[in-house]
Amino acid sequence: MITKIKEKLKKLTIKSALKYSLLIALTIIFLLPVVYMVTSSFMSSKEVTGMLDFTTGEYASFKLIPRDFSLEQYYKVFFRNSEYLSEFWNSVLITLPTVIGQLIVSALAAFAFGKLKFPGRDKIFFVYMILLILPIQVTLVPSYYMYQKINLLNNVMSIILPGTFSAFGICLLRQSVRYISDSSIEAARVDGASYLKIFFKIILPQIRGGLIALALLTFVDTWGVVEQPLIYFTDKAKYPLSVSLSVSTADISIVFACGVMFMIPALIIYFLGEKNLRSSFSRI
Amino acid sequence: MKFEKRQIVWAYLFLLPSLLGIAVFYVIPYIMCVYSSFVKGGSFAGLDNYIAIFQNSAFLNALKNTMIFTTIAIPSLMIISFLIAKFLSSFKNISAFFRSAYLMPIVIPAASLVYVWQLMFDDYGIINNILNSLGIDSVHFFSSGYSMVMIILIYIWKNCGFCVILFTSGLANLPKSVHESAYIEGASSFRTTIKITLPLITPTTFFVFLMAVINSFRMFRESFSLFGTYPNENVYFLQNFINNNYNNFNYSQLSSSAIVMSLIFIGIMLLFFTYERKANYME
Repeated sequence: MITKIKEKLKKLTIKSALKYSLLIALTIIFLLPVVYMVTSSFMSSKEVTGMLDFTTGEYASFKLIPRDFSLEQYYKVFFRNSEYLSEFWNSVLITLPTVIGQLIVSALAAFAFGKLKFPGRDKIFFVYMILLILPIQVTLVPSYYMYQKINLLNNVMSIILPGTFSAFGICLLRQSVRYISDSSIEAARVDGASYLKIFFKIILPQIRGGLIALALLTFVDTWGVVEQPLIYFTDKAKYPLSVSLSVSTADISIVFACGVMFMIPALIIYFLGEKNLRSSFSRI
Repeated sequence: MKFEKRQIVWAYLFLLPSLLGIAVFYVIPYIMCVYSSFVKGGSFAGLDNYIAIFQNSAFLNALKNTMIFTTIAIPSLMIISFLIAKFLSSFKNISAFFRSAYLMPIVIPAASLVYVWQLMFDDYGIINNILNSLGIDSVHFFSSGYSMVMIILIYIWKNCGFCVILFTSGLANLPKSVHESAYIEGASSFRTTIKITLPLITPTTFFVFLMAVINSFRMFRESFSLFGTYPNENVYFLQNFINNNYNNFNYSQLSSSAIVMSLIFIGIMLLFFTYERKANYME
């Protein structure tokens, strides 16, 4: 009897040991590239240049810890490379207005789609869903001619405006809005509250999590924008970092620090909003 | 359905900014695109532009690659994410650290990680180093058919955590009794998954699918940062075709290729939509 229980226990521990090692292996796969970039950003420029030089015919080896720890890359980014900071600023100028605009437009429309009854509601929403799955390239060419006519080429507005009106936020927030109970809205109506008041007093506070999740996703998306600036911006000084980091081959010795600096704002927002992201998706 | 007049007015007021913006920045450009795809040199040309692009080898190659990527990467991503979500839900309680770790990749901008990928996938990179020490020949990720494999791997790595979170939420919302009764009746766990779990989480699956499609367009960013403007022919996608040709190609033919691309994705979406409807109906 006792040996049987022991055997069972043994089986159980082997099984859970396997499960936990699989869990840890998965986590390593997801985190390793990011960790690798961060540790490489503390290499000296010389070490980075050597590591990324594939012409020597020697294989790169897995090296998580820099040979000599140095802040040289960061020093160069901040004090020797004025372009970097101005491009960083370009990214901010594009991203912040897009996030704010998308939040306002989406919250308003999501209330209408999620809680109000009006003719044509489902048909209009279906059109939004279709627009959602069109790649940006589909409307890139006609948009180019449109922006040319209204003088928006080389203007951050050519990225901010389509981002603001993207249908994505509406689809996301509509789910959170639908979760709010109808009775609370009806009660407010009976008390004589206007729809505007209901929006600000009932809807907005209850979709806070959804708004934070949307802010996070819009930020990440716009922060990494590449497609539109490549076409709409002929003035290369206007390029956001996402583009110039992708095309720049100028100074290979600081690439890891550049990459880390570029990802930090996205990471900060991620850590601020991550809980809301998970809880708001539990409602889909 | 009965409508209340006041409510209709307010609904359209709330919708107004969005309707205007969607019309100006999405619908009108799309209609312009449809229009010019049927026009050549100022006069109606019927399907001429469409016939022309289907005789263009660069377009056909881009179309083929886009189809390959879409039909392999999206289902693989969804299956892998579902399996990981099932795996995670088998733990009684799991530290939030793991879920956060899985979400990390989607936050990292494509441009940040270029050199890490380079270091791993280069002809003389870490992966080939490992393969060689195992006695396997080098794989040329940057210049052969394996480029597609690399792009698909990065796509899965990047989006998997996000889809896992969506699936875990969907699984957590399932009533426990469903599984228990199936278990008592002696159904295998595979059968329960296929016959019970999957139909019940169709709304989640639909959302995961939507996100997988939307995020597959964003792979252009990874591809651009890895391969530049002119990737090798194995990973030359429709996005590259349009992005590259907008200034040296004829506008009408570019429009018709954009329309073809949009029809593909609308078609995929409608297919999935009818599947969701059917599943909901059965429920």
